[in-house]
Amino acid sequence: MPLRLMFILSLLSSCFMAASSASAGGGKLQEATFKNGAKLIVEEDHSAPVAMVQVWLKVGGRDEVPGKTGLAHVFEHMMFKGSKKLAAGEYSKRIAAMGGRDNAFTTTDYTAFFETVPAARVSEVIGMEAERFAHLALRDKDFQKEIRVIMEERRMRTEDDPNSHMFEELSAVSLRLHPYRNPVIGWMQDLKKLTIEDVRAFYKLHYVPGNAVVVVVGDVDFKQVEKRVAATFGKMKARPIAPRFNPTEPEPFGPKRIEVRLPAQLPMLAVTIPVPVWKPGHNDIEAASLALATHILSGGRSALMSRELVDKKRLAFSVGAGYDEASMGLDLWYAYGMLGPKQTTAAFEKGLWALLNHMAKTPVSAKRLAAAKRNITADEVFAQDSLYLRAKRIGRLEVAGIGAENRDKWLQAIGRVTPADIQKTVARWLRRDRSTTGILTPEAKS
Amino acid sequence: MRNLSFPFIALALMICAAITPAQAMPPIQQQTLPNGMRVLLMEAHNVPMVSMKLSLPGGSRFDPAGKGGTASLLADMLSDHTARHAHPVWDDLLDADAIKLGAGVGRDDFSLGLTVLKDALKPGLDAFSEALLQPGWNKKRFAILKQDAIAAAQKAQEVPGVRAAQAAAVLLFPQHPYGHRPGGTMKSLARVNLGNLKSLYAAQIKPSGAVLAVSGDITMAELLPLLKARLHRWQGKPAKGLMDISQPAIVAGKQADVTLPTTQTLVQLLRLGPSRSDADFFPAFVLNHILGGGGFASRLMQEVREDRGLVYGVYSYFQPLAAPGPFVITLQTKADQAKQAEAVVRHVLSDMAAGHISSKQLKAAKENLTGSFAQRMDSNRERVGLISMIGLYNLPLDYLSRWIERVQAVTLAQVKAQAVKYLQPDAWNRVRVGPKSAF
Repeated sequence: MPLRLMFILSLLSSCFMAASSASAGGGKLQEATFKNGAKLIVEEDHSAPVAMVQVWLKVGGRDEVPGKTGLAHVFEHMMFKGSKKLAAGEYSKRIAAMGGRDNAFTTTDYTAFFETVPAARVSEVIGMEAERFAHLALRDKDFQKEIRVIMEERRMRTEDDPNSHMFEELSAVSLRLHPYRNPVIGWMQDLKKLTIEDVRAFYKLHYVPGNAVVVVVGDVDFKQVEKRVAATFGKMKARPIAPRFNPTEPEPFGPKRIEVRLPAQLPMLAVTIPVPVWKPGHNDIEAASLALATHILSGGRSALMSRELVDKKRLAFSVGAGYDEASMGLDLWYAYGMLGPKQTTAAFEKGLWALLNHMAKTPVSAKRLAAAKRNITADEVFAQDSLYLRAKRIGRLEVAGIGAENRDKWLQAIGRVTPADIQKTVARWLRRDRSTTGILTPEAKS
Repeated sequence: MRNLSFPFIALALMICAAITPAQAMPPIQQQTLPNGMRVLLMEAHNVPMVSMKLSLPGGSRFDPAGKGGTASLLADMLSDHTARHAHPVWDDLLDADAIKLGAGVGRDDFSLGLTVLKDALKPGLDAFSEALLQPGWNKKRFAILKQDAIAAAQKAQEVPGVRAAQAAAVLLFPQHPYGHRPGGTMKSLARVNLGNLKSLYAAQIKPSGAVLAVSGDITMAELLPLLKARLHRWQGKPAKGLMDISQPAIVAGKQADVTLPTTQTLVQLLRLGPSRSDADFFPAFVLNHILGGGGFASRLMQEVREDRGLVYGVYSYFQPLAAPGPFVITLQTKADQAKQAEAVVRHVLSDMAAGHISSKQLKAAKENLTGSFAQRMDSNRERVGLISMIGLYNLPLDYLSRWIERVQAVTLAQVKAQAVKYLQPDAWNRVRVGPKSAF
């Protein structure tokens, strides 16, 4: 279960793969940048008469100031509450009437709004997206209702889910400066104090054309879409872009640990470690090695963690690990184990570090590495099957500062990694003295 | 995410039968193997991959009495290892070719799924048929899988939705094979032995009545010889067919409360819905879309969330099975608001049952349903889900191409008649999960 990503992953379908889209079936990317800084990226695919329109904003939880957590995510709700031309709720109704589906998601790094629509309606949707982007109503009456909805969302996702609650606490303790320490949905204490003035100020500062990237994947013609975006997002008045909060996280001075006591049935143990993200041309092998090491530990059927910790040593009944190379600044690498009634956190923790230390001392077999590469490559091809995942990969690379044009370089980097690279990377980064351990202790049977 | 995507997934997979516009949609091709297994294929050559799913009547309704989770454990076992390849070797073999193989169960169906790159189709089909036809029945692996399933069932007791589903199954289907969750419970899983799995396998995992739904970069001419070569030894008819099931008795006005120390209370209203073969399936389907199946365009979302800010999500769905399955309305709200939220839902029900459904609402629902056709079928995974549903429940092969026309043909009078039939508040049962203070 990812940490800040868990927020999204818990909802999106289980087929989500964090890895890149690819030369392995990915089409050509066509780009345009407008004078005010707005950007367009299109991948044409004429296999079905549908298109995915996604508007990505370089605005997320990291752009909130202390005491105002949850503010970026408020827009996910308020963007549907009316603009100059559309009444509250009208946006979704229009999308529904054209047979579309709309939704949005927020992370620490970005906010994205998206629609899947019949291809013939793309132009209309881009117009609607631009209109609400530039002329959001932001009425207090609507905000008062939505903030209650958001608190219910938080209760459902975090308060009443012991695992997710534990991960929230663990993230907060793992990092001192980096914004991945704060929950995207916001702390309940902050949510209770947010006002419509906070929302309006955030909107004015961050919802500027230079922060927008429009991504369209599907049965469209680039030239036509370019014209349309030029006449909408491209026409908006240029405004200054606020610098993003991306601090250098201080190196850990030693292992940390917390215990979270909550009503639960069974314990869970999770470990986080800050690790580098992908900077194309600078650390390709290191980032790809982290991705492969993580896949070898927890991806596919032959994952080492399941084999060693679940099947062989019987230390947990469910395990996992995760790394996202397209995070911003750093990634909070994680591994976890769900423990059965007769399994102890101490034994699991010992087993997990024995496994990681073994990987740091011994190269993985060529066969194992080849299988991991083959699976990561195959997942790229399978992801081509979904317009949503394709557009998402493009948008993420763009807002994280990696650049969508580097998309195909990821698999090339994966292909170059050797067993020695993995050993070296695990030894360097996945160390106990850099880790934070969180333990969920059931305080009462839920 | 602002919307709950679960209802959409549920819609796409269980309720709806969506499609791409008739002119653009490739036809479903059908062939029947000599052993009786039907092969339904929709070609899609845009990505070099093939997805398939074998479905047959072998789901949780075939679990022995008191041993809920038997079919689910059988699914775990068949994909875990085979008679020819022991557990860790089998995993290495599949991963070497990026073969995604998995089995699962619903209330009616047992399924075995395969997704592979086109260039790994042959080893993929080898693995698929080996898992299906050469079970390993390794005792040690069974003990491990069973123990982990029991632990997972205990962990799942933390999840309000799981507690509600357990209570709902018992409440809605007393003495009926649908009366437990497919995964089983800690207690019922503990009673399952390897012999139960073997018996279920011998009785139900048969080609007659089975359907293999395929979508991807392949033609029937390529596929059939590959299947025949691997599945010709598989023969026979299941002890019970899909339609060999009794009608569940009607239950109304029953209640169950489950105490859990949460901040929210989950409120679920339940009753029996239409079966997959119901003559009024489409009017009922459109009715549900207006009620709570249509996301933000639905009445429930409007009244409970948009107008009152009481919930993050509220939605309704029915699960059409061989016999009438559950029709569910579900929401979660701060415990002290649960009664208010429930009252709003009940008001919407009685209002719609009294005929207050406008032609404008019907038009909006039809527009959304017919317009979203294409995207509900725009991936191999979604297509395989729909095609296997069509095959398993023996729906006509033109079901998809006629779907828009059938939705369009639904009249306001038909929708109102379905509202009278399904939405009377007294006919619903209730399950709540939350802190004691909320009850």
